[in-house]
Parts: sequence; C-alpha cells; structure tokens
Amino acid sequence: MTPSRLDPAALCRAVSSPKHGALAAFVGTVRAVHAGRRVKAVSYDCFVPLAEKELARIAVAAERRWPVRVAVAHRTGRLKIGEASVAIAAGSGHRAEAFEACRFVIEEIKRRVPVWKLEHYETGDGRWLAGCALHGPAKKSRP
Amino acid sequence: MKRKIELYGRLRDAGLGAAVSVDLPRPVTARRALSILKMSFGSKAALLDGCALATGDEVLSASDELPAGRLALLPPVCGG
Repeated sequence: MTPSRLDPAALCRAVSSPKHGALAAFVGTVRAVHAGRRVKAVSYDCFVPLAEKELARIAVAAERRWPVRVAVAHRTGRLKIGEASVAIAAGSGHRAEAFEACRFVIEEIKRRVPVWKLEHYETGDGRWLAGCALHGPAKKSRP
Repeated sequence: MKRKIELYGRLRDAGLGAAVSVDLPRPVTARRALSILKMSFGSKAALLDGCALATGDEVLSASDELPAGRLALLPPVCGG
C-alpha cells in the first residue's frame, strides 16, 4: 500500500527471470464515468496493516497455486482520472499461468483487502462505493 | 472496559471521527461487540450493516473473542 504513484514497470522487473517465457501485468486505473456519473477523482481509504498482510497472503497464494512470481502494489489517497490504483505483475514459464495469476490476484484484492473507494463527482458531491463484506472464517484457509 | 475502535470507509461519514471509544465487557465476542457498537451509532446504526471487526493481522469471525491491541471496524471492501 502506498500513497506514491505506482510503477508497473518496476513490478515487472521484480518478477522477471531468464527462466520465464511470460510476463503478464494488470493495471487498474481511475475512470472518468461510473454508473452514469462523471467522476473527477477517487479517494482510496485503507486499513494499512491488514491490507498489506492480505496483499502478501494473496501473492503467496498465487505463487502456491501456479508456478509464478507475483508482485502487487495498491494506491492510497486521492487519485485523478487515469491514475493507476492497483498494479499486478506475474512472471512465469508460460502465458496461461501468468494471465491466470493476475486475474486471481485482482479478484482476491476486490474480495478481501480492506480498501474503500470514495468517488468525487463533477457535481461536487461524493459517494462511497458498495463492496464485499469481510468474513473471519476465511482465515482458516489462508496460506 | 473502554476500547478504541478505528473507523474506515463509509463509517468516516458517521460524524464520529476516525475512531470511537466504547465500553465493552471482557471477554466479549466480535458478534456482541458489533451489537454494542450498533447501539452506540444510534440513528446511523445502518452504516454497520455488513461490517466486520479486525485486528491488524486478521478479520475476526463472529465467535472470536476480541483480542487486546488495535481494533478496526471495516465496511464491505472495494479495492482495485
């Protein structure tokens, strides 16, 4: 979790290897329109200690599930339209597992990392977006 | 016993600041603590629908006893 601008290229470098034949990346960005409303910016709130642990657990889970190396970073604070909010890189021997690992990581982030988005609209108002409720028992299956 | 509980996401709009201080019995389960917190939110109790209590290490299940240390009240998440 970081308040600084994300660097997807640095994440790609972190997971690259001469043994790899594939490098997949996913970058989530702030969009200008959501649910018919014109968005000016998005603020990302976060419970940092747990969010960082969950990101690490998700990366470990991906690396146990597929033969990949994974790096992930998520923004906090207020972001402008087009700024990267999340970046994921997966390096592997072949493309299938690299794509699958990237997809797995972003879906798990949306499901279990304590981050919340406040959309700021051009009309001057704002709204916290709905999300996924957290459940404790999931910890029993965590890596 | 007074416990400080940090607030995040939509809970910051409850007008209670970044944290609340509530009297909780000891020991107390997360389920009971959430019930007490709902009472303390009064007319804004609906903001707690779907919320969970967590430490800096993990989300607590309803039957878990609240441990000592940092506690946070977390609304449904939407990262990415």
